Amino acid sequence: MTKRIFMLPLWIRLWHWSNALAIIILSVTGISLHFSDPNLPLVEFSLAARIHNVAGVCLAVLYAVFVIGNILSGNWWQYVPKPPGIIGRCIKQMQFYGIGIFKGEAEPFPPTPEVNFNALQAVTYWSIMYLVMPVVILTGLVFLYPQFAPDHLFGLDGLLPIALVHYIGAAVILLFAVSHIYLGTMGPKVSSLFKMMITGWYEH
Amino acid sequence: MLEKLQKRLGGILLLLALAVAAPVLADDPPPTPEELVKIRAANGECLKCHSEAGLKKPPKEGLDLKKLREHLVHLDTFTASDHGQMACTKCHGDGYDDHPHAAKAKEGLSECQDCHARKAMRIERQFDKSVHAENLSDTFTCATCHDPHVMTVAEKLRDPHKIVAQDNKICLDCHDSDIAFAKMAPEKKKRPAIDDIHSWLPNTRLHWKAVRCVECHTPSEDKLSLSHEIQNKDKAEKKCATCHTANSSLNARLYRHLQTEEQNKYGFLNSVILSNSYVVGATRNPSLDLILIGLFLATVVGVIGHGLVRIITTRLRRSKNHD
Repeated sequence: MTKRIFMLPLWIRLWHWSNALAIIILSVTGISLHFSDPNLPLVEFSLAARIHNVAGVCLAVLYAVFVIGNILSGNWWQYVPKPPGIIGRCIKQMQFYGIGIFKGEAEPFPPTPEVNFNALQAVTYWSIMYLVMPVVILTGLVFLYPQFAPDHLFGLDGLLPIALVHYIGAAVILLFAVSHIYLGTMGPKVSSLFKMMITGWYEH
Repeated sequence: MLEKLQKRLGGILLLLALAVAAPVLADDPPPTPEELVKIRAANGECLKCHSEAGLKKPPKEGLDLKKLREHLVHLDTFTASDHGQMACTKCHGDGYDDHPHAAKAKEGLSECQDCHARKAMRIERQFDKSVHAENLSDTFTCATCHDPHVMTVAEKLRDPHKIVAQDNKICLDCHDSDIAFAKMAPEKKKRPAIDDIHSWLPNTRLHWKAVRCVECHTPSEDKLSLSHEIQNKDKAEKKCATCHTANSSLNARLYRHLQTEEQNKYGFLNSVILSNSYVVGATRNPSLDLILIGLFLATVVGVIGHGLVRIITTRLRRSKNHD
């Protein structure tokens, strides 16, 4: 018989999916802008620029919601990688992804209402959400208001380092997103974790 | 039509006359230091009146100060300009020697094509198709835009910021001022608000600090210099990706004079632009792009591979369990 545990409150689920939508839109338009080619436009440049600006501001607002919501609800604690034995737990988790899952072994650290994330998730989510994301959002805001970028840096336009950091950070988020979606299939059933992210209930 | 033909014929006759009379030409060698001292001294005489100082403290009584105000020359700007080593009298010839200047002195004023004959012929063909010729052919001359006491050609300015500042000032002096616009424009023609008609362009004013109006408002067919066929909004470039792409048209325009210098500096495409602007889509680093695309593909392939192995091992286990 399947057991159900309520894991995710509505605000987190709403934030998660809005955030996901914003990131998909920003990725598609960002790629169109960066690899802009008049003969092969993914999204036409000026349209892509407008969409990217709006979606970028939405992402910044969503990030503020995420941070404030986490503080108010105490959910921030979930993201903190907890040191004693963390490396060992990460290795165990990697062994599961690399070997165990092919043998049909059970998830070594299944989610509980107290501890939502396994050690690997906590480390990754924390890095993405508290390191990479703010950097990408801040550099994006400077891109939106380039007058705040330094005029010149090392004899080159001051926007160049901002642009490079934004580009690399965004690429890291995109790589994370691909793996994140795939790891979403690693629940008790392929669909379990996606269902949980929609309904808030973890079934196992 | 007849007028145009007369103008052309006039131009050809003038060219022939110039060829015979060994004229002053734009490519003549610069004056020697001794000649330059003489030129500067002679120009100083003119500037006694035709300068801010002259206007404030006229060296002579009875000057028409209102008229004088319209004919001031800023010495430093003039000295730095393309004509800065020339004597005023090279262009302001007969009738300008004494004051008051002769009533018909202006008629003897040299024309640009007297020295710039070849250039003028090429440019005139382009100008005839421009929006300025269409609406203002009677009043519009080279000097309407190119004040000969101020201009420096882009090739000599080199610094794109300086080129942009000089050239955009020319356009904006009229197109961003109701008074100046009304002086030139046909009657009843109202000046459209420059920011409003460009509101589609993101970071409009920042664009104008980084690139020239003519980057978009001229066609790109002329390989020798920027075309003088200034086009209105119907024909002007509106595709962002013309500049914002690996093969950016800025290379053939604003940055044409720096092309040979800084190609592929730091491994960036269009690196020559980077010293002044980061242009999304144009100033890219192909190596970084390759690394990130590689990582992305590796992740996708890794995920698909992992998924396939999972499917296969799950099936194998199931069939084993059935056995």
